[in-house]
Amino acid sequence: MTDNPLKNSAYFDDPEMTSLIYAALDASSTGIIITDNRLPDNPIIYHNKAFETITGYNTTEIIGHNCRFLQGRDRSQEAREQIRQALQDGEDIRIEIRNYTKKNDLFWNELYISPITNAKGEVTHFIGVQNNITARKKVEEQLVVEKESIERKVAERTENLRMSEEYLNSIVETIRESLVVLDPNLNVLTVNEAFLRTFKVTRSETIGLRLYDLGNRQWDIAKLKNLLEEVLPSSNPVLGFEVEHKFPHIGHKIMMLNAHRVELQGKFKDRILLAIEDVTDRRAIEKRKDDFLSIASHELKTPLTAVKGYMQLIKRFMPENNPKLTDIIEKSDNQIERLQKLIAELLDVSKIQSGKLDIHHDTFDFDKMVRDTIENIQLNSDSHKVVLRGETNAQYDGDETHISQVVGNLISNAIKYSPGKDRVEVYLSTLKNHIKFSVKDFGFGINMEDQKKVFDRFYRVDSIQKKFAGLGVGLYISEQIITQHGGTIWVDSDAGEGATFSFILPHTEK
Amino acid sequence: MAINKIFICDDDRGITEMLEMVFELADYSVVVENNSLYAYDSIKRIQPQVVLVDLWMPVVSGDLLIRKIKSDPTLENVYVACMSASRDGEQVAMDAGADIFIAKPFDLDQIMAIVGGVSA
Ligand SMILES: Cc1cc2nc3c(=O)[nH]c(=O)nc-3n(C[C@H](O)[C@H](O)[C@H](O)COP(=O)(O)O)c2cc1C
Repeated sequence: MTDNPLKNSAYFDDPEMTSLIYAALDASSTGIIITDNRLPDNPIIYHNKAFETITGYNTTEIIGHNCRFLQGRDRSQEAREQIRQALQDGEDIRIEIRNYTKKNDLFWNELYISPITNAKGEVTHFIGVQNNITARKKVEEQLVVEKESIERKVAERTENLRMSEEYLNSIVETIRESLVVLDPNLNVLTVNEAFLRTFKVTRSETIGLRLYDLGNRQWDIAKLKNLLEEVLPSSNPVLGFEVEHKFPHIGHKIMMLNAHRVELQGKFKDRILLAIEDVTDRRAIEKRKDDFLSIASHELKTPLTAVKGYMQLIKRFMPENNPKLTDIIEKSDNQIERLQKLIAELLDVSKIQSGKLDIHHDTFDFDKMVRDTIENIQLNSDSHKVVLRGETNAQYDGDETHISQVVGNLISNAIKYSPGKDRVEVYLSTLKNHIKFSVKDFGFGINMEDQKKVFDRFYRVDSIQKKFAGLGVGLYISEQIITQHGGTIWVDSDAGEGATFSFILPHTEK
Repeated sequence: MAINKIFICDDDRGITEMLEMVFELADYSVVVENNSLYAYDSIKRIQPQVVLVDLWMPVVSGDLLIRKIKSDPTLENVYVACMSASRDGEQVAMDAGADIFIAKPFDLDQIMAIVGGVSA
């Protein structure tokens, strides 16, 4: 501190300069004091205005005191010890210390103390410079608090992440489908328990290997290769991809595959998730059920054939003037007719299930077919009038018997499910390259939930199920027939407002 | 020449009894065989004009019997109607060489008309 002006006594000899310097010191917003180290307990001999402002004390309370009074009752700070040490060693010190104003308000004092030595090297004075840094300290503290809270949050998030990872993991391990995760080069990254169980392998003989190389290349399946290398790259994800394969140990398996390539940028990009469902048993059960349906309907038809024959014989030998008997026989006939229809439906379902419903293509007059079908229905039902509107004028190429079955089924349903009403309406129309058939009833209607399901096999709208007989396969069969003709069938309805069943078939007039 | 002899082969007695009654009442002479194993020999012996044969029968199936009849020159003029409740029955019957296929359950009038329409 050689250039310290106070060291240069020449300034103090000039009274004008002295007063200028005092003025300058008082103009500062930083507190400045001078202590005299030669006097006992190093008392303050000078302080500027700012020191008063910062501390709230006046001159008489300051001069002659050791500066420690600013520490109030907060005397065991480490900073105090450090200051004492520095003073003793005659060294500079810069330190932050808690001080208190006269009103006992805490303020953080950034204190700088510097010794002044005389020609003999003795420390005669100290200069102290004080800055109130409470505001800055607050910000710093705030930062610390924030930092802590961020750290806490990060810890929480990490914990959450760990938990959700564990959660995800437990899902992955719990589901019954086999899951495989592949890297972009089709090396196995992870597999779940179900995979190990189903394919009777261990984790160590699976992870890290190329999928095709697993278990003596038993996964080197052409169709799987096709899925992963051709199909997936162009259409992601792939759902319900069927692969059949004979595995050396576990035998013949039919697998349903879902494959998903991660497209999101990031560390998982281009990983492939492969879900494998073993549907071998399910398929076998379905097959057995189809066989059963087919045999059952065959067996049911045989006695039915005999009964039908006898009924016809009875009619032939019926005495003429016995109206009671005539009535009974007619009713029995109707019941046999019903039985026959039910059995036929059962057979249709089993045919559809095994993909054997064959469609014969022949050109027929669509409108006439509808008229004939309506006429037939009206013969057996006089509760409702079937009103026909519109026309298609189409010479349609398709299976007349089957389409007529659909038309009959839809109209019969419309009648069946609108008891107490007296009419159903049939509309025929042509649209661009299509013909359209609709039938509207004024019955219960079908709510949205059920609308999606009415075409399912053996599905019956619950509230209706109890009131009406039937297998619930009519609409299922109808949909299959229409679909096989390249058309679509659907229902529009507001519950309570009746329902409209419609189908369209592609058709261009030649 | 009017038809008078009908041979019926079905393992189900419910069907044969009914058909037997129906055709006898219509003044045909009817021979019934429930065991298809003996059917071919009886047909050769009886020389019926019409044979009604079921498709699904144990031991000798209907289509086998039809093939045998159709490949026998002495049975050249026999009219073979094949009946079945099976869904692929028609294909099998026609492939075997049946003259007509009748789906079970059938309509009696239909079957009577078919038989009545055959002229030897
Ligand atoms: C020039 C000078 C200025 C000082 N300014 C302050 C001050 O502003 N606040 C404070 O708490 N202590 C200040 N001190 C420190 C105390 O006066 C005292 O030296 C310190 O508490 C250590 O000594 P002790 O253990 O005897 O109290 C200053 C000391 C000197 C020499």
